[in-house]
Amino acid sequence: MGKPPGDRRPPPPDVRERHTAGELARGYAFLAPVSAFVAVFVIVPVIGTFAGSLMQDVTFLPKRFLGLGNYRAMLSDPGFWQALRFTCLFTLVSVPLELFLGLAFALLLAHPSRARGLLRACVLIPWAIPAAVSGRIFQLIYNYHYGLANYLAGLIGLSDRPVSWLGTPVGAFASLVTADAWKTTPFVAIILLAGLSGIPEDLYLQAEIDRAGFLRRFTRVTLPLLSPVIVVALLFRTIDALRVFDLVFVLTGGGPGGSTNSLSLYGYHYFLSGDFGYGSAVSVALFLIAFGLSVLYVRAGRFARELA
Amino acid sequence: MSGESQVRLLYRAGVLGMAIFALGPILYMALTAASVRPDFLSPGAAFEFTAAHFVSVLRTTSLHFPDYLRNSLVVSGISAALCVGIASPAAYAITRLPLPGRMLFLLCILAVSMFPPVSMVSYLFRFMGTLGMINTYAALVLPYTAWILPLSLWILTSYFAQVPADLDRAAVVDGCTRLAALRKVVLPVAAPGIFSTALLAFIFAFNEFLFALMLTTDHAARTVPVGIALFEGLHGEIPWGVVMAASVLTTVPVVLLTLVFQRRIIQGLTRGAVKG
Repeated sequence: MGKPPGDRRPPPPDVRERHTAGELARGYAFLAPVSAFVAVFVIVPVIGTFAGSLMQDVTFLPKRFLGLGNYRAMLSDPGFWQALRFTCLFTLVSVPLELFLGLAFALLLAHPSRARGLLRACVLIPWAIPAAVSGRIFQLIYNYHYGLANYLAGLIGLSDRPVSWLGTPVGAFASLVTADAWKTTPFVAIILLAGLSGIPEDLYLQAEIDRAGFLRRFTRVTLPLLSPVIVVALLFRTIDALRVFDLVFVLTGGGPGGSTNSLSLYGYHYFLSGDFGYGSAVSVALFLIAFGLSVLYVRAGRFARELA
Repeated sequence: MSGESQVRLLYRAGVLGMAIFALGPILYMALTAASVRPDFLSPGAAFEFTAAHFVSVLRTTSLHFPDYLRNSLVVSGISAALCVGIASPAAYAITRLPLPGRMLFLLCILAVSMFPPVSMVSYLFRFMGTLGMINTYAALVLPYTAWILPLSLWILTSYFAQVPADLDRAAVVDGCTRLAALRKVVLPVAAPGIFSTALLAFIFAFNEFLFALMLTTDHAARTVPVGIALFEGLHGEIPWGVVMAASVLTTVPVVLLTLVFQRRIIQGLTRGAVKG
């Protein structure tokens, strides 16, 4: 970068330095590698998928323009509606559950204790291991013949016959939700924990002086001040839950009878069978849902900052 | 019982429940991996220790588990290094120069990180196929880097913003180029933040599934999560002992990282999510 002006004295700290046009141009050059990577390997592929969704693009068939043909087919495809319904239901059930558990964990982790570091590390472990591994663990836990779930159910006398967890739509759904809650509650807990540590200590002291009980302190101090962070965690988790793939792929494979196909998995099946046009249309549908929510997220983020 | 001791009891019970919730499935995985038979919970069966599953995961060449593990470590390591290397100058420019549009840039980048992988993977599959790169490390490293860059940039930006701007301003005035100021002044001060970012990028890359599933075909580039997901027994029955032994061996490095760098991971995660 160019030589500094002849005067070598550092400028007084409160005077804003002037930036020449050249320096700003070089500043943009610093952003160029990030932009290039994201453009080539994220933006272009997404545009390619949009374009592909308008084509008949099936292996061994001539490629031709279909317009919205794939989307029309999608709207009358029960498999698509089933996948959409599962994806929404999965998100609507698992995210609140994870938020509730995550809040409980965050409160426990925020409590001063000698084993605090160890405890936090233990809670983080499920989040850190690959979803494919947790999918396998829960596949064994929900094994019909000798899994842990049926063992525990029998132990406490919950049912006299083993439950077919992965063999029924309801059981498979419940298995996916619990496996997802196990894996992602730590993430929510850590985010909320950071929010908790940002709440000024004085407020609790004041509440104590006012003889506010635990519940009152929680509803009057903790919850309102935590709500911006809760919004952040909520939307992060929502977008992540909408695009769930690996857990479903491993744990249920979309079964039984396609009842737990997520939109990601449904689209992937079409890619696998060589129908790239229709698979792209399904992916675009998911993209639009997730994108709409991420716009909402950015808005909520701004909203949260204003509150903070 | 007084209210105070009631709360303490509640706390103890909660902590116990939380620990069982988090570690129970891990323990179950480890026990199954070390058990002669997977049905050791069944009536009439008993737990009998064996290391055979671990030996067979590591020694059976047709399983290729050591290959998968090596692929995962190499791909995630390179991706994490690239992420930090590419995101650092960008984070530097954003925190040091009054570039018009930098907040918009950050927000757009954040929106990009919310894109579902399934909406890119078919295009990438064709793209990598055209370049003849299917089943190579590059086919994974390039998309991983692009996909994890947004988060890396957000985390690094929040770390760099904490390094006093006067430090590197002085360096620039003394004749350093901006790049030299970044390397000699900001990077050493922000080293812990850079390490946190690299650690998170590594974990994200290590756990990625869909790209690895579609862009690799065999042990030359296939990563551990896909390898474990696709383990099949000879007769369609899942060889639980082997699968769980492989899972344990995959979990060990991640658990060690988590135990040792718990504070760094938590700091990085919350920078990415909350401080934004």
